[in-house]
Order: sequence, then structure tokens, then C-alpha cells
Amino acid sequence: MALLTVIGRGVRVRGRVTGDADLTIEGHVEGEVDVTGEVTVETGGLLGASVSARVIVVRGAVRGDLTAGEAVRLEDGARVVGDLRAPRISIAKGALVRGLVQTGGIETTLPRAKTAAKSTPAVAPRRAPTPAPVARPAAVAPPRPAAPAAPPRPAPMPVPRPVAARPVPVAVSHAAPKGPPPPVVPALKKGAKAALKKKAT
Amino acid sequence: MASTVIGAGITIEGEISADEEIVVQGTVRGKLDAREGVIVEAGGTVEADITSGPLTVAGNVTGNISSSDRVDLQSGARVIGNVKATRITIADGAQFKGNVDMDV
Repeated sequence: MALLTVIGRGVRVRGRVTGDADLTIEGHVEGEVDVTGEVTVETGGLLGASVSARVIVVRGAVRGDLTAGEAVRLEDGARVVGDLRAPRISIAKGALVRGLVQTGGIETTLPRAKTAAKSTPAVAPRRAPTPAPVARPAAVAPPRPAAPAAPPRPAPMPVPRPVAARPVPVAVSHAAPKGPPPPVVPALKKGAKAALKKKAT
Repeated sequence: MASTVIGAGITIEGEISADEEIVVQGTVRGKLDAREGVIVEAGGTVEADITSGPLTVAGNVTGNISSSDRVDLQSGARVIGNVKATRITIADGAQFKGNVDMDV
């Protein structure tokens, strides 16, 4: 059905959106979007939800995972914090992404830890530019330093996962030489260790 | 035409609040709050409490309706729930079960 559904600018939806039609989001949607058609997040649209659709086109802001059966297109102005999974993914100039990007068939069994670790250094530098042009994702940013404790959403945080790795309290010396840890780790470790020592003494 | 349309084939479960008119051709469950008005078209289903400005119903509504303006139940409408509004019209052929409160 090519029936159009539009969530307009002045509209806020909290909950689940499902169905077999196309969906255009210009307003705010929080929760979950699961449609069989095409989802378009327009400029100014804000989507705090995991999305699953045939085609996903983003020109606005999304916090959540995007999973498309056919394609994900991030166009100029898109700001995405979350994982992208689709057979075809295009990220245009001017689009910002933070998260795991996976093209091709949906093989979720890929060595995920490896992928996450690899993507970490590549993605991390983008943090700096992100807050400047982005007003709303900035709201996402503050919790990140404390993220290992309670990330607001588990999915869009592939970075903290290795950070929160268990080795920290177990044996730092063993964990460290294996590979370059993400930049956040040392600070956390030091702080944690210091705190532990202080407590111990 | 209203800029927000819940098309046929779409189901929204949860809460919708809007500063603009909403046209419902699909299904809404939960809560619907639209101060600029709501139109439930034929084939549209709302299983939610509605708080709105002017409300026009040609489809199904199950839930309490509170309107700051008028409520029009058109022919073919099926409404179950209490209606509170300043003005109400019920067209011939509309089905309605519930109380009416008109701020007399």
C-alpha cells in the first residue's frame, strides 16, 4: 500500500508505530517503528526509536538502530546515533553517524566484538564535531562519560561496551597489552582504581 | 490538508500529542491529544481517549472524547464512549453509545 502517513512537525508520538505503509516523520517519535514500507525522517524530524523498514531515508536526527531490508540512505543533515544494518547503506556528505555500520546480508553473527573494536577508533574522533552543529544529540552526549554505568539505550552504544569490559577490575595489566584501548578507558580505569585503593586503605 | 496523517495500514500504539490537526485513516491505540482537532475518517480506528479541539468522526472510536470545541459524528461513524464537548452533532446513520456532557 502506498498510502502516505505523515507525522507532522507539531506532533509527538510515544509508543509503537507499525504497519505496511510508508511513513514520513517530521515531528518527534519515541519508541519503536516497524513498517514494511519506506520510512523517511525529514529535516527537523526527531526519531528516538529503533527502526525496521524496507527502506530508511534520514535527513533528520535519529537515536536508535536502523535496520532496513533493502537500503538505508543518510542524506545531508542526517544525524544518527545508533547501528545501521542493511544490504545497501549510503551516507552522504554532511551526514553524521555514530555507531556500527554493517552492509550486505544480515549476518548478525559477524564477530561483533571485533567489529565494534575496529569501529571504535574510527568513530571516536567524530565525537568532537558532533556537538557543535547538533543541538539535540548533545542531549545524548552528557550521559556518555558515565555511560558504562547506565547507557540510556543499550544498542547505540557500541563504544562503551569494550569500555565497560570486565577485565578492568580483574587484571588491567593483562588486558592492556592486547590492543590499544579506546581513549576513554584509561581515565576510567585510573579513576576506578584510585577510588578502589582509597577505599581499601 | 492536515500535515499529519496516520494512513491506512499504519498502527500507532502509545501516546500522540500534537499541535496540529491529525487525520486518522489507520489505527491509533492509547491516547490522542490534538488541540487543533482530529478527523477520524471512514476506515480509521481509534481505541484511545481523545482530547482535542474540533473532532470529526466517520470511522470507529472506542474511548472517551473530550473536546474543547465541537464533535461531529458523521454518518457511518461508530462511537463507544463518553463525549464531553461544547457542541455535538450526530448525523443520521451514526452509531453512538455513551454519555453526552455538553457543559450546560
